Amino acid sequence: MKHLNEAELIEHYYEESVDMADCERHLKACAACAKHYADLRRDLDGVKPLATPLRGEGYSEQVWQAIRSSLPVYEKPKRSWVRLGRPLGWAAACALLIAVAFVAGRRWERRQAPSVAVAVDPQARQRVVIVVLGDHLDRSERLLVELNHAGSNDISGTPLRSEARELLASNRLVRQSAMQAGNLNVEASLDRLERLLVELANEPEDLSEADLTRLRQEMNTDGLLFDIRVLRSRVNSQGAPKATKGVSI
Amino acid sequence: MEESDDAIRRAVLSGDKDAYRVLVARYSQVVFRVAYRTTGNESDAEEAVQETFLRAYQGLANFAGRSSMATWFYRIGANCALDMVSRRRPEAQSRIAEENDSEQSEVQLADIKAGPDRLLLSREIEARQQAAMSELTPTERTAFVLRHMEDRSTDEIAAALKIAPNAAKQAVFRAVQKLRRQLAPLWVNT
Repeated sequence: MKHLNEAELIEHYYEESVDMADCERHLKACAACAKHYADLRRDLDGVKPLATPLRGEGYSEQVWQAIRSSLPVYEKPKRSWVRLGRPLGWAAACALLIAVAFVAGRRWERRQAPSVAVAVDPQARQRVVIVVLGDHLDRSERLLVELNHAGSNDISGTPLRSEARELLASNRLVRQSAMQAGNLNVEASLDRLERLLVELANEPEDLSEADLTRLRQEMNTDGLLFDIRVLRSRVNSQGAPKATKGVSI
Repeated sequence: MEESDDAIRRAVLSGDKDAYRVLVARYSQVVFRVAYRTTGNESDAEEAVQETFLRAYQGLANFAGRSSMATWFYRIGANCALDMVSRRRPEAQSRIAEENDSEQSEVQLADIKAGPDRLLLSREIEARQQAAMSELTPTERTAFVLRHMEDRSTDEIAAALKIAPNAAKQAVFRAVQKLRRQLAPLWVNT
């Protein structure tokens, strides 16, 4: 049988034993341990708490007055809206950051977009140029055909003249593009077409048969028509010929 | 309706210093009791009480609310009393040496034999007990007071003395052993 040591007996006395019931059983069964425990109880029971001198009702006030002057005043916390200000400030900062990022992103996108388009898909740009050029040549060809077969009455009806004015603007853009691209044949043909369009757009309303003939001869509209047709056919074969074949002319 | 401890704490932290007076009134008696039992004299106990409420006021913002405010004041009180005992220890030791003088001891024991009056015996036991308590280290003394007189658990003692629970238990054991040795002659003579 394992006897209880003094530490275990003290633990048991203060009811802090891990297993109180076990200790109780052992103390009942073991006379030696029971004797030691009885001695311990006598000793500790004899140690009475010191009789505490009574403090009067005014004692707490006395303590308060003694310490009051030594107590600093806690700083009053700031108003609740100020306390809220910190999270609100963070929220505003986050919103501002998002807005700045959004605007910067949009600007960057705009700057990058053209170069990206060119860099990523130059063929797409080429296709667009061909379509625009093809359309322009198509309209010019129709104008020249009408001009070659028109009488004095037809020109005074002004569809040719207004068409010439519309084509004049687009012809300038297309011609400049051809010049920048170094396509001299196209540029030369469009230059001749432009001179004709300028003349036609500025002709008086009462254009006579003789005036029309002179214009056709001076501008060599037959030759110009041939050039335009050749040019259009080349453009159609270069670009999306199968798609535009059915559409043009 | 009585204001809660936490409401008072918030008031104090909001700048109302005088609200603290209520907490002083509420807990000064309890703190005095443990301080007196630990230090063994009134003036030291009163000093410990004042120090307790000063320390508590300074730490009020850090009160986490894991225990009740009563327990919190009690722990600070026990700790302040322990500090007080530690500071007074050199003086106490010299006093103890005088009280434990062999000649005086014989006189005390002679008084026990001579007096049939139980009251006289009781006083003698109390004096002897005080002397024995004075021989304990401050930690042993405080741990024993909290365990034996204030009926606090080992964990509470550990928290009050800011030591590990096992160290608190050992302090109580050592205190009991020392006291038994010191008080043993009394039981032989009775």
